[in-house]
Amino acid sequence: MTDEEAVRYVNIMSSVLSLPLTAARTLRVASHLARNAQIAEVLDGVAFDASEELAAIYCPAPFPEVKPIGTEHA
Amino acid sequence: MHKPILDAVQLAQLIASGECSASEVLSASLDRVASTDCKVNAFTELTIDRARAKADAIDAMRVRGERLPPLAGVPFAVKNLFDIAGLATRAGSKINRNRPPAEQDAFLVGQLETAGGVLLGALNMDEYAYGFTTENTHDGPCHNPHQLEHIAGGSSGGSAAAVAAGHVSLTLGSDTNGSIRVPASLCGVWGLKPTFGRLSRRGTFPFVNSLDHVGPFANTVAGLTLGYDALQGPDPLDRACHATAIQPALPELHKGLDGLRVGVLGDYFNDHASPAAQAVVKLAAETLNARDEVAWPDAATGRAAAFVITASEGGSLHLDQLRARADDFEPLSVDRFIAGALQPVAWYLRGQRFRHLYRDRVNALFKDWDILISAATPISAPVIGTEWIEINGRTHPCRPAMGLLTQPISFAGCPVVVAPMWPAGTCGMPIGVQLIAAPWREDLALRAASALQAAGVASVRGVEL
Repeated sequence: MTDEEAVRYVNIMSSVLSLPLTAARTLRVASHLARNAQIAEVLDGVAFDASEELAAIYCPAPFPEVKPIGTEHA
Repeated sequence: MHKPILDAVQLAQLIASGECSASEVLSASLDRVASTDCKVNAFTELTIDRARAKADAIDAMRVRGERLPPLAGVPFAVKNLFDIAGLATRAGSKINRNRPPAEQDAFLVGQLETAGGVLLGALNMDEYAYGFTTENTHDGPCHNPHQLEHIAGGSSGGSAAAVAAGHVSLTLGSDTNGSIRVPASLCGVWGLKPTFGRLSRRGTFPFVNSLDHVGPFANTVAGLTLGYDALQGPDPLDRACHATAIQPALPELHKGLDGLRVGVLGDYFNDHASPAAQAVVKLAAETLNARDEVAWPDAATGRAAAFVITASEGGSLHLDQLRARADDFEPLSVDRFIAGALQPVAWYLRGQRFRHLYRDRVNALFKDWDILISAATPISAPVIGTEWIEINGRTHPCRPAMGLLTQPISFAGCPVVVAPMWPAGTCGMPIGVQLIAAPWREDLALRAASALQAAGVASVRGVEL
């Protein structure tokens, strides 16, 4: 994403979202957006299967059965 | 040098035994705040009348011979995104000050009150938690108690600084991408970011619902653990509170390192750690008998996903106010909020879709390891206002770079204890070490923390203010 492309994108999207921006703010926002784009590119390298979908509420692992901590090694 | 104040366990024991009253402990805390917080700027509001009433009630219970709860008389304070009945929940902002006062306390404030804690007030933070420095334009920056011209870290900067300054021994903060771990590292205090979903977030002002965690700071491992145990409790009214039972960790602390398999994170985590940060990791590894280097899967991708999800959800949450009152936002973060609100949805969706793959790869690590170690921040606290930092020859924007080592971990949802350590070559400033465990195994991270503390390599140090 070039600087010009970022500014053009910010202008269009801010208009779509009815988010008024001054010219100076548009440049600053475009600069942040260009950095976000660089970071988002990292995700482009991930190969997703079509079955990989969103979860409404993320859970890192099922909550374990209630038993005293540490007894699994006993 | 001001000695570190007693920890929550010691204070509760003194009060229970009658060696001092809860009112005396409260007065000591208030005196310390009154005499030194003008330099630190950790507190944004004090709840003195409420605190005095609670301390008096604890003292009356003791006089009547009633059994006291575990934190009876222990002063604590909370990041100002936690609801406190009767106060508007600022979340570090100017805009929220127009909101009506909270009608009730946040769930976790209630948990600590039920355990006998005495709420002293609300603490400084980055506006809407979007930052790692607590350079808050509305309330003024929070200063690092160890060197006042340096940042305290953020976004829970007031929560870490209040413990480091000896104002209180226990505080609460929130952590979306590192906002407990970064200030704990930079202020040299113990911090715990629990498993995602362990503690209820009900009654806190959100930042990124997909990623927000809440947790405690303290001046010792025992105090941290006692506070954490008091915070636990299922909350069916918080859809993200996945824990269905309490798992006390305090009884586990005495077990030490027995049977723990400890590894050191390399690659990404080494590349983004300065020599001083690498040195504290090495010392922690030697102390915990960790010899093997471990590769955390897809760390850079995990950080990228956390970054774009944060930007999108944060920007979307505040879209109405960004339209109407952008000039009332924090100047340091308002443009990032807007950029996030404008992001293509495809970035956000890729980040969220990646999260399940990432979880499975990360959780697989813990079949072979109980604890993994990395630095919590790439460097020690920079001077307030710093724009750029250098890490191993590469220049980074200072504010986002403080979360380089924390974001990949919280994106997986793993629990982390930050241990305060003190490398050479940082002019006496601390850098914390992350002790990372599998989801729901806070007890293991706290045991490793206890081992570091017992060995004398990690501790909170007193400050002169």
